[in-house]
Amino acid sequence: MPWYLYLALKQLFPSGRKFPFFTAISVLGVALGVALLVVVTSVMGGFGHEIRRMIVDTEGEVQVRASGYLADYRGVIQRIVSVPGVTAATPYATGPVAVVYKQRPAYPLLRGLDLATIDKVANLARFVHGGRLDDLDDDAVILSAQLASSLGAFVGDTLEVYSPLIFEKLKNDEVFLPRELKIVGVLEIGHQQLDSNTLYCTLRAAQDLYGLGPAAHGINVRLKPGVNEDEAVALINAAVPRGVRAHSWQDSFSDFLWVLNLEKGMIFFLLLFVVIVAAFSVTSSLLISVVRKTREIGLLGALGGAPRHVAACFCAQGLFIGVFGTLLGLALGFGALAVRNDIVLAIARVTQRQEVLQRFYQFKQLPAHTSVNEVMLIVGLTIVISTLAGLLPAWRAARLKPVEALRSE
Amino acid sequence: MAEVVLQAQRLAKNYLSGTQQLAVLRGVDLEVAAGESVSIRGESGSGKSTLLNLLAGLDSADTGTLEWGGVADTGTARRAKFLGMVFQSFYLIPELNARANVLMAARIVAVPGAAERARADELLRRVGLAERATHLPSQLSGGERQRVAVARALMNSPRLILADEPTGNLDEHTGDAVIDLLLAVCRETGTALVLVTHNAAHAKKTNRQLFLREGVLH
Ligand SMILES: Nc1ncnc2c1ncn2[C@@H]1O[C@H](COP(=O)(O)OP(=O)(O)OP(=O)(O)O)[C@@H](O)[C@H]1O
Ligand SMILES: [Mg+2]
Repeated sequence: MPWYLYLALKQLFPSGRKFPFFTAISVLGVALGVALLVVVTSVMGGFGHEIRRMIVDTEGEVQVRASGYLADYRGVIQRIVSVPGVTAATPYATGPVAVVYKQRPAYPLLRGLDLATIDKVANLARFVHGGRLDDLDDDAVILSAQLASSLGAFVGDTLEVYSPLIFEKLKNDEVFLPRELKIVGVLEIGHQQLDSNTLYCTLRAAQDLYGLGPAAHGINVRLKPGVNEDEAVALINAAVPRGVRAHSWQDSFSDFLWVLNLEKGMIFFLLLFVVIVAAFSVTSSLLISVVRKTREIGLLGALGGAPRHVAACFCAQGLFIGVFGTLLGLALGFGALAVRNDIVLAIARVTQRQEVLQRFYQFKQLPAHTSVNEVMLIVGLTIVISTLAGLLPAWRAARLKPVEALRSE
Repeated sequence: MAEVVLQAQRLAKNYLSGTQQLAVLRGVDLEVAAGESVSIRGESGSGKSTLLNLLAGLDSADTGTLEWGGVADTGTARRAKFLGMVFQSFYLIPELNARANVLMAARIVAVPGAAERARADELLRRVGLAERATHLPSQLSGGERQRVAVARALMNSPRLILADEPTGNLDEHTGDAVIDLLLAVCRETGTALVLVTHNAAHAKKTNRQLFLREGVLH
């Protein structure tokens, strides 16, 4: 090991019993920044990951839509399933409806499912409580959890459903009777946005309510695991007739994902300042050390040490603080992630805010998904910033002339 | 005639303090032969430390020439191998134990191997500190610290040792012991010594006694 690295290590961790206080504080500062970055980017990544999982679980990776409606959805499905990488496809009809339950109105989104094929695309059955997906028939509905609770409706109750067809009928002075549908289950996915306001019924019931006849609004497509979504979308687009387009789930939720990514980028940038502030404290500690060690720096010159190596000695101290801080920070960060739900629960218990917390996070559990690239970025940036923190002290040390340094009191 | 390890000719050094120019050295000539010991005395402020720093190549003279072993290169890299220095206030590195301090001189030249480690231990034994090798400077007395510094100065087998009042911070008895040690190891190893001192008794033990007065060596 070159002498300046050796001395850098020795100055950070002196031999003997003396606890390296300055080193510990500096390393801890950097470590806290790294730990925060790891925890926050992982949790933010977890949101994205969970949302992806939920969307894909309920709607498949790809959605195929026409500009109006898909008259010949069976033919389109046949073409789609012959595309390599596609495992299954299911048609759906969807649109807003008005619901009245005991004089209480709600305006949820209706989703008509094709019971024959839905299992192969979306495993909705496992999210249904108080009933089964198979109980669904043309006179039945399943409510999303929050819709059920805001209406105060239970399984076994009956709802009145009005569709936009009412406007056409009224124009023609026809009578419109709402459709009475029986609640046979409650569907709870675990994400607030997805659970908020949806009504599930059979495809046929939805077709009736929307006057679609034998047509559908779109097709949900499930891909083989590991198939690239964008490539699959391109293949499907080549296979389907004109006027019909395939979209990946990322396209469909691009606004939402864009906001999520923006938030993540902003938070990353802001938390990086914790590392930068820690780096400033490293700089000031090292500057103090340069002043305190002026005579030793002079001695190193007298022993034949080159000024650039003296500089390297202080730069290396910044580097080492960065490396140790990063290692400790990763340990702290991943440790905190491992017990994150306990931490959240403990905080919730102390503040008695479990409900608020759940609503705020939109998940029953705090998700986490750590991206290797982001961890590499955090590690790289932290080490670079810490090394830069050593630059100013290093420059001061290198500028000291041995004679003047030795003469200083 | 023995080989010349140090040759200084007409070294002059002025300090500017404000508008006033202070001529500290006004043409110092000094020649030191291999293995020779030379003492320099002079009043406080006469420029002894200034001269020693010039001879060590740590500072540059305004005029005059300096050669080490007949070569004009007095740069940092050559200094590490050619000369050792001992100072009034020891200047040991507080984070390193005695052995590591001695080894530091070798480390600056190259990563030390087994031979260097053995030499450091041998030198510590020679200065009577074999048992204190793992002690930190803060655990050593002044005399012991200066003996570590002497061992460090000898580490790279230099041709010349420059010592600036090495006994200035030591009591009389300890000072005598350090000077005797310094002279003895220089004699054993054939190392030349330039010793700046205020102590006449110490000066008398050297081969040649010089005085720095009015910027010139007498
Ligand atoms: N950097 C400097 N700037 C201005 N004057 C200086 C500087 N360094 C030394 N001097 C002056 O040069 C003179 C010689 O100083 P030097 O330290 O060489 O004396 P010295 O003989 O070693 O004294 P002492 O025996 O007290 O150690 C002193 O008058 C000192 O004030
Ligand atoms: Mg002096």
